[in-house]
Amino acid sequence: MKDRLHVSFQPRGPEVVVDADYVVVGSGAGGASAAVTLARAGAHVVMVEAGPWREPHDYAHTTYGAMRDMLDDWGSTVTMGRAIWPIVQARLVGGTTVVNSAICVRTPADIFTAWERDHGLTGLADQVWAHQDRIEGELCVEETAPHAMGRSNELALQGDAAAGYDGHIIKRYAKGCAGSGQCLQGCRMLRKQSTNVNYVPEVLARGGGMISCAPVTQITWQGTRATGVRGHFLHPQTRTWGAPFRVRARRGVIVAASVTRSPVLLRRSGLRHRPVGSLFRAHPGTGVFGVYDDPVDQNVGVTQGWASTRFRDEPGLKLETLSIPMEMAVSRLPGGGAALMERIARYRHFAMWVHATRARSVGTVRVGWGGRPVVRYGLDEADMRTFRAGMALVARLHFAAGAREVLPGIHGLPAILKADQVRLIDEGPLDPRSYVAILSHLFGGCPMGADPSRHVCDPRGKVYGTEGLYVADASLMPDNLGVNPQHTIMALAMIVAEGALRASPGA
Amino acid sequence: MIWLLRHAMCDMMPSAAGLPALADAGVDTFLAQLRRETSGLVWLGLVAGAALYVVTPVFTLGVPLPSMWLSAQQRDRHAERITSTDVYLLRQAVFLVKMYACMCWGQDADVRRGLSVLPYPQGADPGTFRVS
Repeated sequence: MKDRLHVSFQPRGPEVVVDADYVVVGSGAGGASAAVTLARAGAHVVMVEAGPWREPHDYAHTTYGAMRDMLDDWGSTVTMGRAIWPIVQARLVGGTTVVNSAICVRTPADIFTAWERDHGLTGLADQVWAHQDRIEGELCVEETAPHAMGRSNELALQGDAAAGYDGHIIKRYAKGCAGSGQCLQGCRMLRKQSTNVNYVPEVLARGGGMISCAPVTQITWQGTRATGVRGHFLHPQTRTWGAPFRVRARRGVIVAASVTRSPVLLRRSGLRHRPVGSLFRAHPGTGVFGVYDDPVDQNVGVTQGWASTRFRDEPGLKLETLSIPMEMAVSRLPGGGAALMERIARYRHFAMWVHATRARSVGTVRVGWGGRPVVRYGLDEADMRTFRAGMALVARLHFAAGAREVLPGIHGLPAILKADQVRLIDEGPLDPRSYVAILSHLFGGCPMGADPSRHVCDPRGKVYGTEGLYVADASLMPDNLGVNPQHTIMALAMIVAEGALRASPGA
Repeated sequence: MIWLLRHAMCDMMPSAAGLPALADAGVDTFLAQLRRETSGLVWLGLVAGAALYVVTPVFTLGVPLPSMWLSAQQRDRHAERITSTDVYLLRQAVFLVKMYACMCWGQDADVRRGLSVLPYPQGADPGTFRVS
């Protein structure tokens, strides 16, 4: 075992300087996968993570604690458009893999066809799938066992059987999931295979390093060659700035800071290339509560156990179960005061299921005040029709599963709908401001493709017009997938890392 | 500004339907902690939402008084109506207040037991991280 390097927050003082072959900015699905690929090839890799390194025993139990300790800026990043929709991204070692449901979906074949046609990306499919084969073995991908499913997921399976949605039990990066329902606050039972419990420790075991509590503000240059990164430590609780740090990278810089942060870092580092921050896309989603005669106790069992991709191509939807923490779920119930409390009193009878829209609308990521990302994004009318159709499909699934009524949470519609009123959703508003949605799957911002005038990165993730600078996260993807992106992000990041190794062999 | 936020949050979640009120669910401790820990942006949004809640009974009830001068019954009606106002930004601002009210209320052990959700353990949010 080689020496392990971890540098956490350092108070104000002299600059902390670390040397490496490669520096990887970010430690989530993309960053950790790129880093472990480089480390396995014998390179000395240092990861730099804006947030702290929290072990499972450090994880918060409460939603408040999870927002404080895990989300980027308390989850305050939102879209700027007609509607204000929050963007869910984590900020700690392991990135969003710590707080997602660990859903594993192989990249659909049609994605590669579209990427080749629209963006000149060739020869990716076999490489991506080969990596995904290996990742599935390493991260113990499996279906959730029946004993961990919980009533909400069982009801969805029943509804699916009746409605014919061709759904399935979700495969997840989880080894023996116990159904504790704590995915979104981090899995303290060490079942979920977020990157902070596998790839990141492996990088350190192979002699690499981690600098945490360290938001990178700039890439350093020698001419057009990226030579490293720099920034200042930031204390995760007091939010006080600490010492400056610098990582000098002999062979390359890999940026995997997230769809919102990677384009901002490139822009702040002097890349004025017009496509930086372009082609931002997402899967906006929202939920519908079903109300059942018998208690559902939706927080018992796996957070997400059932999904359907039958509507992925037409109209462009993914349907899933999702049991969010109770305190967040009740805040989604309509109303306030005594009327709200009366709705909450029936909480045990609720099941929340969601849809994610494969939206065609495109947005941008720009640098805002203080270096914060500004995401301009909204859904056009066609996407809103799809979004609305998703809500109706979820509502019908609830009724097929035996729900007595549903709570769609659409402004302008009755708070409670019976089975014969679902047509009200079909005819519901197309104004995005009528819906409470979130963006959890993000794409683009540093899109890859064959045309330097439209793309930031070449087909293997190298930033056009630079040497030694690569992007290895979801910001590479020039379009959205219609399925959960983690598996694709990981495989693409590994391919980018292999390209970086080939470009600078054995220095 | 804590008093303003406390007022708006407690109006959102009174004691009803056999459930305890937010006022009895540790709201003071929660708000002190929130003020100490949260980012300026989130705090600003919460205070703005609470302030809007206070000044809007004229739109929801036709009563030109701040919400704290209303009767309990009027405040209850205001809380219900303001969450479904047609003014989007107002609705969003009040939703933020409601979300944090639910976050505080929902971590109370008695509340959780009442809804058959496992109570959080003591010291649920250690806030710790690796320093070496």
